[in-house]
Amino acid sequence: MASTLRLYLTCIRNTLEAAMCLQNFPCQEVERHNKPEIEMKTSPELLLNSVLICRNEAEKCLIETSINSLRISLKVKQADELENILTKKFLRFLSMRAEAFQVLRRKPVQGYDISFLITNYHCEEMQKHKLIDFIVQFMEDIDKEISELKMSVNTRGRLVATEFLKQFI
Amino acid sequence: MAAIAAHKFAQCITCHAWSPDHSMVAFCPNNNEVHIYWLVQEKWEKMHVLQKHDQIVSGIDWSARSNRIVTASHDRNSYVWNLEGSEWVPTLVILRLNRAALCVQWSPKENKFAVGSGAKTVCICYYEQENNWWVSKLIRKRHDSSVTSVAWHPNNILLATTSTDGKCRVFSTFIKGVDAKDSTKGKSADLKFGELVVQLDLSLSWAFGVKWSLSGNTLAYVGHNSMIHFADDIGPSPLAQNVTFRDLPLRDVLFISERMVVGVGFDCIPMVFAADRRGIWSFVRFLGEKKTASSGSSYGSQFSEAFGKLYGQSKHGVNNDARGNIHDNCITCIVPLKENGTWTRRFSTSGLDGKIITWDLENQQDLSEYL
Repeated sequence: MASTLRLYLTCIRNTLEAAMCLQNFPCQEVERHNKPEIEMKTSPELLLNSVLICRNEAEKCLIETSINSLRISLKVKQADELENILTKKFLRFLSMRAEAFQVLRRKPVQGYDISFLITNYHCEEMQKHKLIDFIVQFMEDIDKEISELKMSVNTRGRLVATEFLKQFI
Repeated sequence: MAAIAAHKFAQCITCHAWSPDHSMVAFCPNNNEVHIYWLVQEKWEKMHVLQKHDQIVSGIDWSARSNRIVTASHDRNSYVWNLEGSEWVPTLVILRLNRAALCVQWSPKENKFAVGSGAKTVCICYYEQENNWWVSKLIRKRHDSSVTSVAWHPNNILLATTSTDGKCRVFSTFIKGVDAKDSTKGKSADLKFGELVVQLDLSLSWAFGVKWSLSGNTLAYVGHNSMIHFADDIGPSPLAQNVTFRDLPLRDVLFISERMVVGVGFDCIPMVFAADRRGIWSFVRFLGEKKTASSGSSYGSQFSEAFGKLYGQSKHGVNNDARGNIHDNCITCIVPLKENGTWTRRFSTSGLDGKIITWDLENQQDLSEYL
């Protein structure tokens, strides 16, 4: 793995480690409600400063924290149009199955490709460091997966073209 | 090891309280019930389930002398439970709140209790003989955000609160007819109900877990920016100290002696703070061994592995990971184990991992000078 990617992921891991200090917190504005404050944003004092970690212009990670929830938004590297469309299709496929992943948000935050929403309930049920491992591994794997997809599309394209052009020989 | 007993009672515990003789423990297993367990022949057995609330119970306190339990819940209600025969009989407290109740504590004399709430108010409740119910008086318009924690001064009048607006406030809670004028010495008797004695603005982030020292001279509370704050001489000109530490924020603190404080929080391990002879507070050490998470670096290449990790992590699962700490998740509650009303060097902690752990500082050589 490239050393810059390692640094980028370590930075994200450490930030998540510090940011994932969540607790049960009922809504101050609406009676008998308990909603993720980072989504509702009803009381500004319950939100913390958001952290933006960039590896370069195309790859960045936004971590927004509130008292009972945390939102992680990722922008995945897209070098060309093929990668762009592959990323879009693949992440859409995942987002549509968001409930299977529990921490995945159905819609990414504007300007990002995929978002996770972690609430205090996830921290109660699951171990914090495993949640962080999951996010970091997800980021590690997504690049690999996209480049593998790209490679197989290219290989297939080459094969099809070869087969097609054979008839003119 | 300073931990002398540990038992996993539930999947997740929000708060707990001990009976006066420590034979029973009441806790909320992260739902609307309060479970009471007692120790029979070295084994914990469920004795009672208190079901009256309809949302998660956020605070429990068991009074030492009158043997009553007070509970507060996110459903905006609070109940006082009396043991009659072998049954716990609830009495509804009219809190007059329209948001969740977040914390509750009996006053030292056990004739009042305080409830902090998400409605940015504090309720002081007292028993009214003629109507046979608990009535509440509200301290309004002082807090700018939810009240996360309340603590009574030993004189039964002053109440300290922390709030998510980052401030710690001290109020007078003198109620005519409940508190006798002459029972309070000094200035605090002259204050009216709800009067703000002092407002401490030391924390830059949310404040939690306020506690008074045993004599009531020192006040400690924590901020979410990994700081712990101490204030002496509560009054017009308090003396404040901030201690910053490098670990994750704390959630609650407890005075062991005038010069020693134990803090618990997101690091899953209690931290000891102590004051030296000049009265300067500093971090001393962790209780028990602190081990860092070993992040397995042998990551595979396939996506499925990451998902497998999420799936494989059983929801109500066994902990197969050697994190090493006694608690596996955030510690939310620390309670002193008092014997006949006097303080001892023992305390218990409970956390989101569902364990209640008892600690003893008796045989800790390096800490004995602070006790």
